[in-house]
Amino acid sequence: MQPCSREMQGMNSLLNATQISLQDLQNHHHHQQQQHQHQQQPQQIQNSQIQHLQNSHFDPNNTHDDFLEQMFSTIPSCAWPELNPKTPWDLKPRDLSEETPPSNPDNNVPYQFDHDSSTLASKLRNHQISGVTKSSAAAAAAAIMLQQQLFMSRGAGAGAGESGLIQMPLSLGASDDVVDGSSSFKSPNTGGEGSVQALYNGFTGSLHGPGQTPNQAQHFHHPQGGQVQGQNYGAPSGVMNQGPASGSAGSAPAQPRQRVRARRGQATDPHSIAERLRRERIAERMKALQELVPNANKTDKASMLDEIIDYVKFLQLQVKVLSMSRLGGAAAVAPLVADMSSEGGGDCIQAGANSGALGRNSNGNQTAPSNDSLTVTEHQVAKLMEEDMGSAMQYLQGKGLCLMPISLATAISTATCHSRNAMINNHNNNINNNPLLQSNGEGPSSPSMSVLTVQSATMGNGGGDASVKDNTSVSKP
Amino acid sequence: MTPKGVTLNTNSHKIKFARRFIRTLLRMRKNAPSSSSIEEIRKRSQRIKIAAYSSMAHAVGSRRAWSRAILFKLRNRARHHGMMRRRSMKKRVIKNDPPGDQSQTNKLRQLVPGGKAMDMCSLLEETAHYISCLSTQVKVMQTIADHLSK
Repeated sequence: MQPCSREMQGMNSLLNATQISLQDLQNHHHHQQQQHQHQQQPQQIQNSQIQHLQNSHFDPNNTHDDFLEQMFSTIPSCAWPELNPKTPWDLKPRDLSEETPPSNPDNNVPYQFDHDSSTLASKLRNHQISGVTKSSAAAAAAAIMLQQQLFMSRGAGAGAGESGLIQMPLSLGASDDVVDGSSSFKSPNTGGEGSVQALYNGFTGSLHGPGQTPNQAQHFHHPQGGQVQGQNYGAPSGVMNQGPASGSAGSAPAQPRQRVRARRGQATDPHSIAERLRRERIAERMKALQELVPNANKTDKASMLDEIIDYVKFLQLQVKVLSMSRLGGAAAVAPLVADMSSEGGGDCIQAGANSGALGRNSNGNQTAPSNDSLTVTEHQVAKLMEEDMGSAMQYLQGKGLCLMPISLATAISTATCHSRNAMINNHNNNINNNPLLQSNGEGPSSPSMSVLTVQSATMGNGGGDASVKDNTSVSKP
Repeated sequence: MTPKGVTLNTNSHKIKFARRFIRTLLRMRKNAPSSSSIEEIRKRSQRIKIAAYSSMAHAVGSRRAWSRAILFKLRNRARHHGMMRRRSMKKRVIKNDPPGDQSQTNKLRQLVPGGKAMDMCSLLEETAHYISCLSTQVKVMQTIADHLSK
């Protein structure tokens, strides 16, 4: 017995408890109304509302709790202009007893989408005629609200209909409540330019009960209890598609004002609460940092802080090195680098291992060589360096490696990776143990030196690397 | 997932930084002739580094505490360079604590500009933003260097 539209299903999920009877009634006429649906303009709210509102069996014998259901469900559709010329009393309880949808829905209907609202209006009048009690006035007024809402949802297209709609509630005047309701909803009707939200707020006012209603719907605070409220839920639930936020927003402001409830096993002491909040905030920030800093799989806060510190130092070192390289002219950089390396030895090493280690750990898409290929690379570079330093450097560059003096590399390593020293030492050992490389260190002594850049851990393959020919250090015995 | 306070580094930062930095570099090249002595080279590289940081700070603006700290430091430094050099020399002497005594938080405070006067929470936030800006800076500088060296 599930209705086929999505809106209906949504509403069903909302209203299961209270709406079972309504659904029963609706389903009987659901298929009958489908045709009407297709004729009408495809507005979602309208559709959902229409489907919801239309046609349950109208049973005058129902209690007034089901009154609203009947009201909303049975919409014997009559033409909108028909309403105006006819007096309310013309629409006699023939509708009440009729169980089939009226046969004249399509007669002289200038606005086809006004079916339901017109029928609703007629229904309303019928119930007014049949002696609507004060208690059901709320339902009637809610029906008016619904009508207006229906109307608003279609926009201001039906200007004539709008005037008719305004007239209609005024003409009823069966009870003060209805008039109040109509007057209260006149303002959103006239003032609003199709703002469903305003109406929806009004609805939610009636829906949410005394505690949380917005001001507009104060009139509809009838002590009906949850039943009518629940039934009211059915009607505007179709509108909820558009504005669930306002409804939830209505109830949401109440919640944060409540005291923060401590979880199980935790103290409710304000100090500890503040402490807990502070800790949570710090944990949040640490998590964000974890994503920024590469190689951040540490769960320990202390080691995470170490990583962060190392990474910041590394970045700052990179800026420094890059600012040196800006000067262009390899010769200019050479004394600088020699200067930097003056404290330690000057042997040339493959610092690509250094940054490669960093890069490998941090960035998955870097093709830093593995241990096996490192030795191969070393051999290759050594061979190339015999012939021509430039080609060796180009080879290294292609691999994403660079040459740098050991002192600089150690400086970098001590500065940036305390924890990675072990790994880098391994690499250094690999390299330093390579006799070829060391022996070749004395060979070529070409004066030029290219720009020194450090392969960034964060950069991709192509963009990040450059090479350094530190020939002064190479030639150093 | 970034917390609400930390905004991601967008392209705007990158572009602003690049523009400012290149402008500063051009100005430097125009003013200073090609220097050959080591001292001048060192000074020049120092100036370039400062230019990089300052242009990044200007690109970020005053939104972040660390950028405000950098800008403040730059203004003070300019003032000192202009008027009282000796005092600034004295200020540059930094006490070197033995590395073991420093806690991690203190190290981080020293690294991040303006970090000394922040509580842990905002320090971490500033660090996150600072790291993202630094990496952008490095990327841009790298591409510039690549272009220049070609």
